[in-house]
Amino acid sequence: MKRFRNIVIFLAICIATITLWNYFDNSQVETVYVPLIKEPAPPSIPLEKGVFKRSSHALEYANMPIDKEHQRSLDTYYNNRAYPGAPPSIPHPLEAERNMGAKTCLKCHQNGGFVKKFNASAPITPHPEYVNCRQCHVAQKTQSLFIASNFKKIEAPSVGNNNALLGSPPMIPHQIRMRESCLSCHAGPSAPKEIRVSHPERVNCRQCHVPTDLKVNASSTFIRKTNYDK
Amino acid sequence: MLSAMTAAATMFPGILFAKDQEKNLPTDSDIKWNKAPCRFCGVGCGVLVGVKEGKAVAVKGDPKSTVNKGLLCVKGYHQIMCIQAEDRLTHALVKKNGTYVKTPISEALDLVASKMKETISKHGKDSVAMYTSGQSTIPEGYVASKLMKGAIGTNNLDCNARLCMASAVTGFLTSFGADEPMGCYEDIDHADYFITWGNNMAEMHPVLFSRMLDQKNRRGAQIIDFATRTTRSSMASDKSILFEPQTDLAVANAICYEIINNGWVNKKFIEDHINFNKGLTNMGYGLEDNYKFKDKPTSISFEEFKEFLEDYTPEKVALYSKVCVRDIKYMAAIYGDPNNKVVSFWCMGMNQHTRGTWMNNLVYNIHLLTGKISQPGNSPFSLTGQPSACGTAREVGTFTHKLPKGVVTKEKYRRLAAKIWKVPYERIPSKPTYHATEMFRAVDRGDIKFIWTQVVNPLVSLPKTGRYRPGMKKDSCFVVVSDVFPTPTSDVADVILPACWHIEKSGLYGNSERRTQHWNKMVEGPGDTTPDAWMTIEVAKRMGYGDLFPYSKENHVEEIYNEYRQFHEGPQHGMAPLEVLKKESGAMWPFYKGKSTRWRYNAKYDPACNNGKDFHFYGKPDGKAIIWQRPYEPAPEVPDKEFPFWLNTGRVIEHWHTGSMTRRIPVLHKAMPNAYVELHPQDAKSMGITNGQDVKIVSRRGQCILPAAINQRGLPTRGQVFVPFFDENMLINDVTLDAFCPISKEPDYKKCAVRIEKA
Repeated sequence: MKRFRNIVIFLAICIATITLWNYFDNSQVETVYVPLIKEPAPPSIPLEKGVFKRSSHALEYANMPIDKEHQRSLDTYYNNRAYPGAPPSIPHPLEAERNMGAKTCLKCHQNGGFVKKFNASAPITPHPEYVNCRQCHVAQKTQSLFIASNFKKIEAPSVGNNNALLGSPPMIPHQIRMRESCLSCHAGPSAPKEIRVSHPERVNCRQCHVPTDLKVNASSTFIRKTNYDK
Repeated sequence: MLSAMTAAATMFPGILFAKDQEKNLPTDSDIKWNKAPCRFCGVGCGVLVGVKEGKAVAVKGDPKSTVNKGLLCVKGYHQIMCIQAEDRLTHALVKKNGTYVKTPISEALDLVASKMKETISKHGKDSVAMYTSGQSTIPEGYVASKLMKGAIGTNNLDCNARLCMASAVTGFLTSFGADEPMGCYEDIDHADYFITWGNNMAEMHPVLFSRMLDQKNRRGAQIIDFATRTTRSSMASDKSILFEPQTDLAVANAICYEIINNGWVNKKFIEDHINFNKGLTNMGYGLEDNYKFKDKPTSISFEEFKEFLEDYTPEKVALYSKVCVRDIKYMAAIYGDPNNKVVSFWCMGMNQHTRGTWMNNLVYNIHLLTGKISQPGNSPFSLTGQPSACGTAREVGTFTHKLPKGVVTKEKYRRLAAKIWKVPYERIPSKPTYHATEMFRAVDRGDIKFIWTQVVNPLVSLPKTGRYRPGMKKDSCFVVVSDVFPTPTSDVADVILPACWHIEKSGLYGNSERRTQHWNKMVEGPGDTTPDAWMTIEVAKRMGYGDLFPYSKENHVEEIYNEYRQFHEGPQHGMAPLEVLKKESGAMWPFYKGKSTRWRYNAKYDPACNNGKDFHFYGKPDGKAIIWQRPYEPAPEVPDKEFPFWLNTGRVIEHWHTGSMTRRIPVLHKAMPNAYVELHPQDAKSMGITNGQDVKIVSRRGQCILPAAINQRGLPTRGQVFVPFFDENMLINDVTLDAFCPISKEPDYKKCAVRIEKA
């Protein structure tokens, strides 16, 4: 009987110890719990960040003679895209197949310049900060198709008829996201000749040229509803 | 092909087009080009409007205009497109039993005149009021002033320029004794530094900004953007410095402290040309009806001023302005270096400020301490927002306290006005009555029983519209609205008068650099539309004042301008004669002996200087400008637990003011279809708000629902939100506070406390 009592006491002590141990251990965990450090502020730059990006080159562009022999045209510009606004494909052999792009691409495409090997000026990217170039831009290794497609390329905006009034500054017929830096594509020797700006020194492009394809609710004109008898 | 090329070449002078770029351009062979100032902002660009078969079809920058040299902004290029809007007001509308009835214009004017007369005979002269505009032409403002002050004999005339320029005016008057900038836009061509004080010029004064960018690229001039929000201007500037709203007062004083402490003061200039003053402080914010305030200037010494600045060391100011000590010292060093030419630009950030007059004084202090004023490239430059805020509101004086020359409180100016107007001198009352905000409070209280608004949209543009909209709807007040388009203001009118737009009438505007510009009527207005000046004259005639308004319908603009010119004769404010204005793209007053004056108060350029010294601030009796001791005082409403955000309002490049014109221009509406609220990305994240999501802004006065814009056009600092006010479908002014600067009576649209909720 005495032995049985001892066993019970022993068990009770064991259970109590375990319970208390657990309790204190957990409460200790709670007190030393360190909240996650809030992640640092994301870089806060408005969408307009690129508006003035290449403006330091504007005067050079203005004074640069035009190399008529090697200029691009809008035709070749759009031919290299699946549809207007799609990322262009890489029309030349790749230097380093394994890498994502970055410096390998940027050494020619950040600031442009004439590349003798391809007998052309390298187009300048409007978004050099996205360094995983080949995430969007891929090579064309064949011209043949796996199977024919009915996809129809929509017509690209043409030049010279995008003005609201005779002679008013043409509107911007394309999305601006990732193309905020106007001078990248509209100035310099790599700009397609039809859209090369004649006045790059103006710099504040969107002072006169505004986008036209923003999504507009309901109607594209502003008319008030009044109860005036008309 | 050839004609297309010449067309393009004439469109953009100095800009050549390649063949490929213009193959689809139409030709302009039978277009007639007429000159005018632009309809929109206070920059006052010269435009050429192309007219073909009686319709305006194109706009180009006027290459002869020294303001814009052939360049415009997107609003300017497309301005004429608004006249063709489908809901154009073409006939007078009279409200009968709750519905608007199309009425012949002469009948509507009969009604307006008889109502006005009846109200005066029943309730007295001070029960009728007119509320006009910084977009009124010079003749329109002049006849309104003549009718109210000269014919009827009440000072119940104020205008919307009170909401945008009043602090600039009181700033000029207190510091220099004479209104409007001493410099001109040519300062841009000479300056080494541009410091913009709360002013997003890339969007609001784009053509001047393009001139600054030009100087930056060609000469290496630098732009420092001092603001409460990161904008397109910040992105183009060499340095962007952000400050906590309202602390610009402290930072400006800290710059003065640094200038004095480092020995950068121009001692000779101070001795010869400067007095020191202080005024009253703790003067309140005008939040209560019938609030009155009059400043009491007392003279102080330079030593006292220096002592006062001890509270504004960069170290002390950095604590609450959130501008780091280094940046304050950097700005001070720019102003302090005698080899730098500095232009300060500002507009609504400093003017729409409960201490707006003080803030204007403080920037003048900086320029006066260093002597950087009234010389090419050294210029404190107050910009304007409306095309004739200077020309009409300030020079003609369509304010309650003003006459075409001087103020109503001074006998000599009342006598001059009475003489030119040919009215008994006793008729012009000597006491100012209602400034803009108080005028609409008086409408709400029932004190004003008749109000006529012209070229203005107060129910979108007033602060705290939540009070003034029901106020104007009350039966106690008969409301007449003249406008080109229906607006939320015309919605509450008893009579709507159809007005001619800009080029459908002749007129004159005056821009920010004292430049007066004339234009001729180019196209016919539709239906019964009539020029505002002529409607005022017709009403005056019907009220029995015909002998005071002996103008002809065809020529009234010229006749009125010639009469008005008599007020400003002399070397201090002479206006150019019409022959000159018709030939040239504007002329700057003081126009004296056939010449525009570019830099006032500087003996080299200004023929009115006659004290034998280099500079003469002849606006003050002793010829000396005043440096004012003005402290920092907090805003009337600051963010707290319940309303934790600052609300800042303003504009965007695509739209102008309340959008009644620009929203009717398809290009601009497509580019910016609705207003939005800008939030800091972290604030948005902590509230779980994503881009484009509807958000409710709530203040103690009202609320407004708008889509969130995160990392879009602009980026406010944490704890601040920004909303453009052009959108009548999202009336942010229901939320704003009608506190104003006690000296200028200009409301502060840039600061009040709000709460943000998911809608």
